[in-house]
Amino acid sequence: MAAVCGRLLLRSGAAGAVGFAAVLPARTRAFKNVYLFTGCFSSSGYRVSSNGNAAKFQPPPKPIIVDKQKQKEEKRFLSPEFIPPRGRKDPLKFYIERKDMIRRRKVFNIPEFYVGSILAVTTADPYASNKASRFVGICIQRGGRGLGATFVLRNVIEDQGVEICYELYSPRIQAIEVLKLEKRLDDNLMYLRDALPEYSTFDVNMKPVTHLDHEEIPVNKLQVRMKPKPWSKRWERPKYNIKGIKFELPEEKMKEAQKWSQPWLEFDMLREYDTSKIEEKIWREVNEELKK
Amino acid sequence: MMPIWTKSGKKHAVTLLKVQDCHVLKYISKEESGGKTSKLLVGGKNTSPFYKTESAMEIFKAAGVPRKQKVTTFNVTEDALIKPGTPLYAAHFRPGQYVDVTAKTIGKGFQGVMKRWGFKGQPASHGQTKTHRRPGAISTNKAAKVYRGKKMPGKMGNIYRTSFGLKVWRINTKHDIIYVNGSVPGHTNCLVKVKDSRLPTYKDCNKNPPFPTFFADGDEKLPEDLYDEEIFQFTDPSVTY
Repeated sequence: MAAVCGRLLLRSGAAGAVGFAAVLPARTRAFKNVYLFTGCFSSSGYRVSSNGNAAKFQPPPKPIIVDKQKQKEEKRFLSPEFIPPRGRKDPLKFYIERKDMIRRRKVFNIPEFYVGSILAVTTADPYASNKASRFVGICIQRGGRGLGATFVLRNVIEDQGVEICYELYSPRIQAIEVLKLEKRLDDNLMYLRDALPEYSTFDVNMKPVTHLDHEEIPVNKLQVRMKPKPWSKRWERPKYNIKGIKFELPEEKMKEAQKWSQPWLEFDMLREYDTSKIEEKIWREVNEELKK
Repeated sequence: MMPIWTKSGKKHAVTLLKVQDCHVLKYISKEESGGKTSKLLVGGKNTSPFYKTESAMEIFKAAGVPRKQKVTTFNVTEDALIKPGTPLYAAHFRPGQYVDVTAKTIGKGFQGVMKRWGFKGQPASHGQTKTHRRPGAISTNKAAKVYRGKKMPGKMGNIYRTSFGLKVWRINTKHDIIYVNGSVPGHTNCLVKVKDSRLPTYKDCNKNPPFPTFFADGDEKLPEDLYDEEIFQFTDPSVTY
Protein backbone atom coordinates (compact mmCIF):
# COMPACT_ATOMS: atom_id res chain seq x y z
CA MET A 1 0.00 0.00 0.00
CA ALA A 2 2.74 2.41 1.00
CA ALA A 3 4.75 1.42 -2.07
CA VAL A 4 1.78 2.14 -4.34
CA CYS A 5 1.35 5.53 -2.71
CA GLY A 6 5.00 6.29 -3.19
CA ARG A 7 4.79 5.42 -6.87
CA LEU A 8 1.76 7.62 -7.33
CA LEU A 9 3.54 10.56 -5.76
CA LEU A 10 6.51 10.12 -8.06
CA ARG A 11 4.43 9.79 -11.18
CA SER A 12 1.82 12.45 -10.57
CA GLY A 13 3.99 14.86 -8.66
CA ALA A 14 0.91 16.05 -6.75
CA ALA A 15 1.63 16.71 -3.11
CA GLY A 16 -0.63 15.15 -0.54
CA ALA A 17 -2.25 12.65 -2.81
CA VAL A 18 -3.91 10.07 -0.61
CA GLY A 19 -6.11 7.10 -1.24
CA PHE A 20 -6.41 4.24 -3.63
CA ALA A 21 -5.92 4.71 -7.30
CA ALA A 22 -6.35 2.26 -10.10
CA VAL A 23 -3.64 3.05 -12.61
CA LEU A 24 -4.80 2.42 -16.15
CA PRO A 25 -2.84 3.10 -19.32
CA ALA A 26 -4.38 5.75 -21.53
CA ARG A 27 -5.98 4.55 -24.74
CA THR A 28 -5.10 7.54 -26.99
CA ARG A 29 -2.03 7.28 -29.20
CA ALA A 30 -0.88 10.84 -28.55
CA PHE A 31 -0.70 10.46 -24.80
CA LYS A 32 0.89 7.04 -24.69
CA ASN A 33 2.74 7.38 -21.45
CA VAL A 34 0.04 9.27 -19.64
CA TYR A 35 -1.74 7.30 -16.97
CA LEU A 36 -5.35 7.98 -16.17
CA PHE A 37 -6.24 7.91 -12.50
CA THR A 38 -9.60 6.40 -11.69
CA GLY A 39 -11.19 5.35 -8.47
CA CYS A 40 -11.29 7.29 -5.24
CA PHE A 41 -8.40 9.64 -5.08
CA SER A 42 -8.21 12.87 -3.15
CA SER A 43 -5.52 15.42 -2.48
CA SER A 44 -5.37 17.63 0.57
CA GLY A 45 -6.81 20.60 -1.22
CA TYR A 46 -9.81 18.99 -2.84
CA ARG A 47 -11.85 16.67 -0.69
CA VAL A 48 -15.10 16.23 -2.44
CA SER A 49 -17.08 13.00 -2.23
CA SER A 50 -19.58 11.79 -4.83
CA ASN A 51 -22.63 13.48 -3.27
CA GLY A 52 -20.93 16.87 -3.09
CA ASN A 53 -20.64 17.19 0.73
CA ALA A 54 -17.24 17.57 2.44
CA ALA A 55 -16.04 13.94 2.99
CA LYS A 56 -14.56 12.84 6.31
CA PHE A 57 -10.97 11.62 6.30
CA GLN A 58 -10.93 7.83 5.90
CA PRO A 59 -7.76 6.33 7.32
CA PRO A 60 -6.24 3.45 5.32
CA PRO A 61 -7.26 -0.03 6.53
CA LYS A 62 -4.85 -1.75 8.88
CA PRO A 63 -2.73 -4.57 7.37
CA ILE A 64 -3.78 -8.12 8.30
CA ILE A 65 -1.00 -9.89 10.22
CA VAL A 66 -1.18 -13.68 10.00
CA ASP A 67 -0.23 -15.04 13.44
CA LYS A 68 1.73 -18.26 13.04
CA GLN A 69 1.16 -19.09 16.75
CA LYS A 70 -2.61 -19.24 16.27
CA GLN A 71 -2.15 -21.38 13.19
CA LYS A 72 -0.11 -23.80 15.29
CA GLU A 73 -2.99 -24.27 17.75
CA GLU A 74 -5.20 -25.54 14.97
CA LYS A 75 -2.80 -28.47 14.45
CA ARG A 76 -4.08 -31.13 16.84
CA PHE A 77 -2.15 -34.20 17.81
CA LEU A 78 -3.68 -36.77 20.13
CA SER A 79 -1.44 -39.69 21.03
CA PRO A 80 -3.14 -42.87 19.77
CA GLU A 81 -3.15 -44.55 23.21
CA PHE A 82 -5.77 -42.08 24.46
CA ILE A 83 -8.40 -43.33 22.02
CA PRO A 84 -10.41 -46.08 23.76
CA PRO A 85 -10.96 -49.29 21.79
CA ARG A 86 -14.44 -50.32 20.79
CA GLY A 87 -15.93 -52.63 23.39
CA ARG A 88 -18.32 -53.12 26.27
CA LYS A 89 -16.08 -51.71 28.97
CA ASP A 90 -17.36 -48.94 31.21
CA PRO A 91 -16.16 -45.52 29.94
CA LEU A 92 -15.38 -44.70 33.57
CA LYS A 93 -12.42 -47.08 33.40
CA PHE A 94 -10.96 -45.17 30.41
CA TYR A 95 -11.58 -41.85 32.16
CA ILE A 96 -9.67 -42.96 35.25
CA GLU A 97 -6.85 -44.36 33.11
CA ARG A 98 -6.65 -41.05 31.23
CA LYS A 99 -6.33 -39.17 34.53
CA ASP A 100 -3.36 -41.38 35.46
CA MET A 101 -1.79 -40.89 32.03
CA ILE A 102 -2.13 -37.10 32.32
CA ARG A 103 -0.58 -37.20 35.80
CA ARG A 104 2.44 -39.00 34.36
CA ARG A 105 2.65 -36.62 31.39
CA LYS A 106 2.78 -33.61 33.69
CA VAL A 107 5.90 -34.95 35.40
CA PHE A 108 7.56 -36.60 32.40
CA ASN A 109 7.48 -35.24 28.86
CA ILE A 110 6.29 -37.76 26.25
CA PRO A 111 6.92 -36.05 22.89
CA GLU A 112 4.82 -36.35 19.79
CA PHE A 113 6.16 -39.03 17.46
CA TYR A 114 4.92 -41.35 14.75
CA VAL A 115 5.82 -44.73 13.33
CA GLY A 116 8.95 -44.04 11.28
CA SER A 117 10.45 -41.40 13.56
CA ILE A 118 13.87 -41.98 15.06
CA LEU A 119 13.88 -41.89 18.85
CA ALA A 120 16.47 -42.18 21.62
CA VAL A 121 15.23 -43.68 24.90
CA THR A 122 17.16 -43.72 28.22
CA THR A 123 15.91 -46.26 30.77
CA ALA A 124 17.01 -47.00 34.31
CA ASP A 125 18.89 -50.30 34.35
CA PRO A 126 20.08 -51.84 37.64
CA TYR A 127 22.71 -53.93 35.81
CA ALA A 128 24.24 -51.20 33.61
CA SER A 129 27.40 -49.36 34.67
CA ASN A 130 25.80 -45.91 34.74
CA LYS A 131 22.52 -47.33 36.04
CA ALA A 132 21.02 -46.02 32.78
CA SER A 133 21.03 -47.39 29.24
CA ARG A 134 20.34 -45.43 26.03
CA PHE A 135 18.93 -46.97 22.86
CA VAL A 136 18.45 -45.24 19.51
CA GLY A 137 16.16 -46.70 16.87
CA ILE A 138 13.33 -46.20 14.42
CA CYS A 139 9.82 -46.68 15.77
CA ILE A 140 8.28 -49.55 13.84
CA GLN A 141 5.07 -50.08 15.79
CA ARG A 142 2.88 -48.32 18.35
CA GLY A 143 0.59 -50.72 20.17
CA GLY A 144 -1.63 -50.93 23.21
CA ARG A 145 -4.15 -48.47 24.64
CA GLY A 146 -4.20 -46.63 27.93
CA LEU A 147 -1.40 -47.05 30.46
CA GLY A 148 -0.08 -50.18 28.77
CA ALA A 149 0.77 -48.39 25.52
CA THR A 150 4.03 -49.59 23.95
CA PHE A 151 6.32 -48.69 21.07
CA VAL A 152 8.96 -50.85 19.41
CA LEU A 153 12.33 -49.36 18.40
CA ARG A 154 14.53 -51.12 15.87
CA ASN A 155 18.21 -50.67 15.07
CA VAL A 156 21.06 -52.74 13.68
CA ILE A 157 24.06 -52.73 16.03
CA GLU A 158 27.27 -54.44 14.86
CA ASP A 159 25.37 -56.37 12.17
CA GLN A 160 22.80 -57.64 14.67
CA GLY A 161 19.22 -56.43 14.37
CA VAL A 162 17.85 -55.38 17.76
CA GLU A 163 14.25 -54.52 18.58
CA ILE A 164 13.22 -53.25 21.99
CA CYS A 165 9.60 -52.81 23.08
CA TYR A 166 9.21 -49.94 25.58
CA GLU A 167 6.14 -49.05 27.64
CA LEU A 168 5.34 -45.34 27.29
CA TYR A 169 4.19 -44.93 30.89
CA SER A 170 6.72 -47.18 32.61
CA PRO A 171 8.46 -45.34 35.50
CA ARG A 172 11.83 -46.83 34.48
CA ILE A 173 12.06 -44.62 31.40
CA GLN A 174 14.16 -41.55 32.20
CA ALA A 175 13.93 -39.67 28.87
CA ILE A 176 12.48 -39.96 25.38
CA GLU A 177 13.98 -37.68 22.71
CA VAL A 178 12.83 -37.47 19.13
CA LEU A 179 15.94 -37.29 16.96
CA LYS A 180 14.02 -37.11 13.68
CA LEU A 181 10.29 -36.53 13.48
CA GLU A 182 8.82 -37.96 10.33
CA LYS A 183 6.10 -40.28 9.08
CA ARG A 184 6.32 -43.16 6.64
CA LEU A 185 3.91 -44.56 4.09
CA ASP A 186 2.74 -47.32 6.49
CA ASP A 187 1.49 -47.52 10.07
CA ASN A 188 3.51 -50.63 10.82
CA LEU A 189 7.11 -51.09 9.71
CA MET A 190 7.53 -54.73 10.75
CA TYR A 191 8.68 -55.48 7.19
CA LEU A 192 12.01 -53.85 8.01
CA ARG A 193 12.97 -57.23 9.49
CA ASP A 194 12.98 -58.67 5.96
CA ALA A 195 14.41 -55.58 4.30
CA LEU A 196 18.11 -55.04 3.62
CA PRO A 197 19.88 -54.09 6.89
CA GLU A 198 20.90 -50.66 5.59
CA TYR A 199 17.29 -49.47 5.98
CA SER A 200 17.29 -50.26 9.71
CA THR A 201 20.75 -48.95 10.65
CA PHE A 202 20.83 -45.60 12.40
CA ASP A 203 23.80 -43.90 13.94
CA VAL A 204 23.72 -44.22 17.73
CA ASN A 205 25.29 -40.78 18.15
CA MET A 206 23.23 -38.98 15.55
CA LYS A 207 22.36 -35.34 16.22
CA PRO A 208 18.69 -34.40 16.58
CA VAL A 209 17.22 -32.91 13.41
CA THR A 210 15.38 -29.68 14.23
CA HIS A 211 11.72 -29.52 13.31
CA LEU A 212 9.88 -26.21 13.25
CA ASP A 213 6.59 -26.16 15.08
CA HIS A 214 4.37 -24.78 12.38
CA GLU A 215 5.66 -27.05 9.62
CA GLU A 216 3.78 -30.17 8.67
CA ILE A 217 5.28 -33.50 9.58
CA PRO A 218 7.31 -34.71 6.57
CA VAL A 219 6.24 -38.02 5.04
CA ASN A 220 9.21 -40.10 3.93
CA LYS A 221 8.08 -41.80 0.73
CA LEU A 222 10.96 -44.23 0.83
CA GLN A 223 10.40 -47.56 -0.92
CA VAL A 224 12.45 -50.20 0.80
CA ARG A 225 14.28 -53.03 -1.01
CA MET A 226 13.86 -56.47 0.47
CA LYS A 227 16.11 -59.44 1.06
CA PRO A 228 15.32 -62.50 -1.10
CA LYS A 229 12.30 -64.54 -0.05
CA PRO A 230 11.31 -66.33 2.30
CA TRP A 231 10.17 -63.45 4.49
CA SER A 232 8.74 -63.67 8.01
CA LYS A 233 5.34 -62.68 6.63
CA ARG A 234 4.03 -62.58 3.07
CA TRP A 235 4.19 -58.78 2.82
CA GLU A 236 2.99 -58.71 -0.81
CA ARG A 237 -0.51 -59.88 0.28
CA PRO A 238 -3.21 -57.19 0.32
CA LYS A 239 -4.14 -57.80 3.96
CA TYR A 240 -0.99 -55.96 5.10
CA ASN A 241 -1.61 -53.13 2.62
CA ILE A 242 2.03 -52.09 2.52
CA LYS A 243 3.02 -49.16 0.34
CA GLY A 244 6.61 -48.74 1.47
CA ILE A 245 8.18 -51.78 -0.23
CA LYS A 246 9.63 -51.83 -3.73
CA PHE A 247 8.44 -55.29 -4.73
CA GLU A 248 10.86 -56.83 -7.22
CA LEU A 249 8.76 -59.98 -7.52
CA PRO A 250 7.55 -61.28 -10.92
CA GLU A 251 4.10 -60.23 -12.12
CA GLU A 252 2.57 -63.70 -11.61
CA LYS A 253 3.49 -63.67 -7.91
CA MET A 254 1.90 -60.25 -7.42
CA LYS A 255 -1.24 -61.41 -9.22
CA GLU A 256 -1.35 -64.57 -7.12
CA ALA A 257 -1.07 -62.49 -3.97
CA GLN A 258 -4.19 -60.53 -5.01
CA LYS A 259 -6.17 -63.80 -4.71
CA TRP A 260 -6.22 -63.22 -0.94
CA SER A 261 -7.71 -59.75 -1.27
CA GLN A 262 -11.01 -59.14 0.54
CA PRO A 263 -12.54 -56.17 -1.33
CA TRP A 264 -15.81 -56.40 0.62
CA LEU A 265 -14.07 -55.40 3.88
CA GLU A 266 -14.06 -51.68 3.04
CA PHE A 267 -17.86 -51.72 2.66
CA ASP A 268 -18.46 -53.62 5.91
CA MET A 269 -20.38 -51.15 8.08
CA LEU A 270 -20.05 -53.15 11.28
CA ARG A 271 -16.28 -52.77 11.14
CA GLU A 272 -16.43 -48.98 10.92
CA TYR A 273 -15.15 -47.20 14.01
CA ASP A 274 -15.31 -43.48 13.49
CA THR A 275 -13.12 -41.95 16.16
CA SER A 276 -13.24 -38.29 15.03
CA LYS A 277 -15.83 -37.12 17.61
CA ILE A 278 -14.31 -39.18 20.43
CA GLU A 279 -10.87 -37.81 19.53
CA GLU A 280 -12.08 -34.21 19.64
CA LYS A 281 -13.67 -34.67 23.06
CA ILE A 282 -10.68 -36.42 24.50
CA TRP A 283 -8.25 -33.92 22.96
CA ARG A 284 -10.09 -31.02 24.60
CA GLU A 285 -10.23 -32.84 27.93
CA VAL A 286 -6.54 -33.79 27.84
CA ASN A 287 -5.42 -30.31 26.80
CA GLU A 288 -7.41 -28.65 29.59
CA GLU A 289 -5.94 -30.95 32.20
CA LEU A 290 -2.38 -30.57 30.90
CA LYS A 291 -2.59 -26.77 30.98
CA LYS A 292 -3.50 -26.78 34.69
CA MET B 1 -7.52 -54.54 33.67
CA MET B 2 -4.67 -52.09 33.96
CA PRO B 3 -0.91 -52.17 34.57
CA ILE B 4 0.49 -50.92 37.87
CA TRP B 5 4.16 -50.32 38.69
CA THR B 6 5.90 -50.68 42.06
CA LYS B 7 8.66 -48.38 43.33
CA SER B 8 11.28 -50.97 42.26
CA GLY B 9 10.03 -50.76 38.65
CA LYS B 10 8.16 -54.11 38.52
CA LYS B 11 4.90 -54.26 36.62
CA HIS B 12 1.74 -55.97 37.92
CA ALA B 13 -1.63 -56.37 36.22
CA VAL B 14 -4.59 -55.11 38.19
CA THR B 15 -8.38 -55.57 37.87
CA LEU B 16 -10.70 -52.66 38.64
CA LEU B 17 -13.82 -53.49 40.67
CA LYS B 18 -16.51 -50.84 41.13
CA VAL B 19 -18.66 -50.87 44.27
CA GLN B 20 -22.03 -49.90 42.86
CA ASP B 21 -24.95 -49.09 45.23
CA CYS B 22 -24.22 -51.75 47.87
CA HIS B 23 -26.59 -51.82 50.82
CA VAL B 24 -27.00 -54.11 53.80
CA LEU B 25 -30.45 -55.68 53.43
CA LYS B 26 -31.12 -57.95 56.37
CA TYR B 27 -29.67 -59.41 59.53
CA ILE B 28 -30.16 -63.14 60.12
CA SER B 29 -29.22 -64.28 63.63
CA LYS B 30 -27.24 -67.44 64.40
CA GLU B 31 -30.27 -69.37 65.66
CA GLU B 32 -32.43 -68.34 62.71
CA SER B 33 -29.92 -69.40 60.05
CA GLY B 34 -28.77 -72.53 61.93
CA GLY B 35 -25.10 -71.91 61.11
CA LYS B 36 -22.10 -71.14 63.29
CA THR B 37 -22.23 -67.36 62.87
CA SER B 38 -24.88 -64.78 62.16
CA LYS B 39 -25.35 -63.63 58.60
CA LEU B 40 -25.83 -60.32 56.85
CA LEU B 41 -27.61 -60.10 53.51
CA VAL B 42 -26.01 -57.57 51.20
CA GLY B 43 -27.35 -56.42 47.85
CA GLY B 44 -25.51 -54.74 44.96
CA LYS B 45 -26.35 -52.75 41.81
CA ASN B 46 -29.80 -51.14 41.55
CA THR B 47 -32.25 -52.46 38.97
CA SER B 48 -35.89 -51.92 38.04
CA PRO B 49 -38.50 -52.87 40.64
CA PHE B 50 -40.86 -54.26 37.99
CA TYR B 51 -41.15 -57.84 36.72
CA LYS B 52 -40.67 -59.25 40.21
CA THR B 53 -43.05 -60.88 42.71
CA GLU B 54 -44.21 -59.00 45.81
CA SER B 55 -42.61 -61.53 48.15
CA ALA B 56 -39.19 -60.99 46.57
CA MET B 57 -39.56 -57.23 46.98
CA GLU B 58 -40.35 -57.52 50.72
CA ILE B 59 -36.70 -57.63 51.76
CA PHE B 60 -35.94 -54.45 49.82
CA LYS B 61 -39.01 -52.67 51.15
CA ALA B 62 -38.10 -53.55 54.75
CA ALA B 63 -34.59 -52.17 54.29
CA GLY B 64 -35.88 -49.09 52.43
CA VAL B 65 -33.62 -49.65 49.49
CA PRO B 66 -34.25 -49.94 45.70
CA ARG B 67 -34.30 -53.43 44.21
CA LYS B 68 -30.86 -54.96 43.78
CA GLN B 69 -29.68 -57.22 41.03
CA LYS B 70 -27.65 -59.54 43.27
CA VAL B 71 -28.12 -60.53 46.92
CA THR B 72 -25.36 -62.42 48.78
CA THR B 73 -24.78 -63.55 52.37
CA PHE B 74 -21.74 -62.84 54.46
CA ASN B 75 -20.94 -64.72 57.65
CA VAL B 76 -20.32 -62.07 60.29
CA THR B 77 -19.31 -62.13 63.98
CA GLU B 78 -21.65 -60.59 66.57
CA ASP B 79 -19.55 -57.45 67.08
CA ALA B 80 -19.50 -56.58 63.39
CA LEU B 81 -23.24 -56.27 62.82
CA ILE B 82 -24.49 -53.40 60.69
CA LYS B 83 -27.98 -51.95 60.60
CA PRO B 84 -29.95 -52.93 57.47
CA GLY B 85 -30.12 -50.05 55.03
CA THR B 86 -26.58 -48.75 55.52
CA PRO B 87 -24.67 -48.24 52.28
CA LEU B 88 -21.31 -49.97 51.85
CA TYR B 89 -18.42 -48.25 50.09
CA ALA B 90 -15.10 -49.22 48.54
CA ALA B 91 -13.32 -47.62 51.52
CA HIS B 92 -14.44 -50.66 53.54
CA PHE B 93 -11.21 -52.20 52.16
CA ARG B 94 -7.76 -50.70 52.57
CA PRO B 95 -4.66 -50.96 50.34
CA GLY B 96 -2.28 -53.70 51.48
CA GLN B 97 -5.18 -55.96 52.44
CA TYR B 98 -5.79 -59.35 50.83
CA VAL B 99 -9.21 -60.36 49.46
CA ASP B 100 -10.99 -63.31 47.89
CA VAL B 101 -13.13 -62.56 44.86
CA THR B 102 -16.03 -64.82 43.85
CA ALA B 103 -17.99 -64.59 40.62
CA LYS B 104 -19.72 -66.69 37.99
CA THR B 105 -17.19 -67.73 35.32
CA ILE B 106 -17.76 -67.01 31.64
CA GLY B 107 -20.20 -69.57 30.24
CA LYS B 108 -18.75 -71.61 27.40
CA GLY B 109 -21.80 -73.78 26.73
CA PHE B 110 -21.61 -77.47 25.96
CA GLN B 111 -17.93 -78.29 25.54
CA GLY B 112 -15.96 -81.36 24.69
CA VAL B 113 -13.57 -83.17 26.95
CA MET B 114 -10.40 -81.51 25.58
CA LYS B 115 -11.50 -77.97 26.36
CA ARG B 116 -13.44 -78.78 29.53
CA TRP B 117 -10.97 -81.09 31.27
CA GLY B 118 -7.75 -80.63 29.28
CA PHE B 119 -7.56 -84.15 27.88
CA LYS B 120 -4.92 -84.75 25.20
CA GLY B 121 -7.18 -86.29 22.55
CA GLN B 122 -5.75 -88.44 19.77
CA PRO B 123 -3.27 -87.77 16.92
CA ALA B 124 -4.51 -86.00 13.78
CA SER B 125 -3.21 -88.63 11.36
CA HIS B 126 -1.50 -92.07 11.29
CA GLY B 127 -4.66 -94.08 10.79
CA GLN B 128 -6.99 -92.51 13.38
CA THR B 129 -10.57 -93.23 12.20
CA LYS B 130 -12.99 -90.50 13.29
CA THR B 131 -11.21 -90.14 16.66
CA HIS B 132 -9.33 -86.89 17.30
CA ARG B 133 -10.97 -85.15 20.28
CA ARG B 134 -12.67 -88.04 22.08
CA PRO B 135 -12.05 -89.12 25.71
CA GLY B 136 -10.90 -92.63 24.84
CA ALA B 137 -11.36 -95.17 27.66
CA ILE B 138 -13.73 -94.20 30.50
CA SER B 139 -13.06 -96.98 33.03
CA THR B 140 -11.13 -100.20 33.60
CA ASN B 141 -12.21 -103.79 32.99
CA LYS B 142 -12.16 -104.81 36.68
CA ALA B 143 -14.32 -101.90 37.85
CA ALA B 144 -17.14 -103.02 35.53
CA LYS B 145 -18.80 -99.65 36.01
CA VAL B 146 -18.14 -95.97 35.38
CA TYR B 147 -17.32 -94.07 38.58
CA ARG B 148 -19.44 -91.13 39.66
CA GLY B 149 -17.88 -87.82 38.69
CA LYS B 150 -16.10 -89.22 35.60
CA LYS B 151 -14.82 -86.31 33.52
CA MET B 152 -17.00 -86.20 30.42
CA PRO B 153 -18.26 -83.54 27.98
CA GLY B 154 -20.92 -81.18 29.35
CA LYS B 155 -21.85 -77.56 30.11
CA MET B 156 -18.72 -75.59 30.97
CA GLY B 157 -18.53 -72.29 32.81
CA ASN B 158 -21.29 -70.15 34.34
CA ILE B 159 -20.51 -71.51 37.83
CA TYR B 160 -19.25 -69.71 40.92
CA ARG B 161 -15.48 -69.77 41.36
CA THR B 162 -13.18 -67.85 43.73
CA SER B 163 -9.74 -66.33 43.29
CA PHE B 164 -8.03 -66.38 46.69
CA GLY B 165 -5.43 -64.08 48.20
CA LEU B 166 -5.59 -61.09 45.85
CA LYS B 167 -3.80 -58.00 47.09
CA VAL B 168 -5.62 -54.67 47.13
CA TRP B 169 -3.25 -52.10 45.59
CA ARG B 170 -5.33 -48.94 45.48
CA ILE B 171 -8.76 -47.58 46.42
CA ASN B 172 -10.53 -44.70 44.71
CA THR B 173 -13.00 -43.27 47.23
CA LYS B 174 -14.59 -40.80 44.80
CA HIS B 175 -15.75 -43.40 42.28
CA ASP B 176 -15.69 -46.39 44.72
CA ILE B 177 -13.16 -48.48 42.81
CA ILE B 178 -10.97 -51.24 44.25
CA TYR B 179 -7.76 -52.13 42.38
CA VAL B 180 -7.22 -55.85 42.94
CA ASN B 181 -4.06 -57.74 41.89
CA GLY B 182 -4.26 -60.24 39.06
CA SER B 183 -7.35 -61.51 37.28
CA VAL B 184 -10.81 -62.22 38.60
CA PRO B 185 -13.39 -64.80 37.40
CA GLY B 186 -16.24 -63.51 35.26
CA HIS B 187 -16.72 -61.39 32.14
CA THR B 188 -16.36 -57.58 31.99
CA ASN B 189 -19.08 -55.75 33.95
CA CYS B 190 -20.22 -58.87 35.79
CA LEU B 191 -21.25 -58.86 39.48
CA VAL B 192 -18.61 -60.01 41.92
CA LYS B 193 -18.44 -60.78 45.65
CA VAL B 194 -15.38 -59.45 47.52
CA LYS B 195 -14.49 -60.80 50.97
CA ASP B 196 -11.54 -60.57 53.34
CA SER B 197 -9.16 -63.42 52.55
CA ARG B 198 -9.59 -66.65 54.50
CA LEU B 199 -6.09 -67.95 53.63
CA PRO B 200 -3.98 -68.63 56.77
CA THR B 201 -0.96 -66.69 55.37
CA TYR B 202 -2.97 -63.47 55.23
CA LYS B 203 -4.73 -63.85 58.58
CA ASP B 204 -2.83 -60.94 60.15
CA CYS B 205 -2.58 -58.80 57.06
CA ASN B 206 -5.52 -56.52 57.77
CA LYS B 207 -3.97 -53.82 59.91
CA ASN B 208 -6.77 -51.71 61.41
CA PRO B 209 -9.46 -52.05 58.77
CA PRO B 210 -12.55 -49.84 59.19
CA PHE B 211 -14.67 -51.82 61.66
CA PRO B 212 -17.54 -52.73 61.21
CA THR B 213 -17.44 -50.78 57.95
CA PHE B 214 -16.61 -47.36 56.50
CA PHE B 215 -19.43 -44.90 57.17
CA ALA B 216 -19.57 -42.05 54.66
CA ASP B 217 -21.31 -39.64 57.04
CA GLY B 218 -18.75 -40.32 59.77
CA ASP B 219 -15.91 -38.10 60.89
CA GLU B 220 -12.96 -39.34 58.87
CA LYS B 221 -12.49 -37.65 55.49
CA LEU B 222 -10.41 -39.88 53.24
CA PRO B 223 -8.38 -38.52 50.30
CA GLU B 224 -9.64 -39.33 46.82
CA ASP B 225 -7.00 -42.04 46.20
CA LEU B 226 -5.56 -44.44 48.76
CA TYR B 227 -2.34 -46.11 47.63
CA ASP B 228 -0.35 -49.05 48.91
CA GLU B 229 3.17 -48.14 50.15
CA GLU B 230 4.92 -49.97 47.33
CA ILE B 231 3.00 -48.45 44.45
CA PHE B 232 4.76 -46.01 42.16
CA GLN B 233 2.59 -42.90 42.10
CA PHE B 234 2.60 -41.00 38.81
CA THR B 235 3.26 -37.67 40.51
CA ASP B 236 6.74 -38.93 41.55
CA PRO B 237 9.75 -38.62 39.22
CA SER B 238 11.01 -41.65 37.29
CA VAL B 239 12.51 -44.62 39.10
CA THR B 240 16.32 -44.71 39.41
CA TYR B 241 18.65 -47.42 40.77
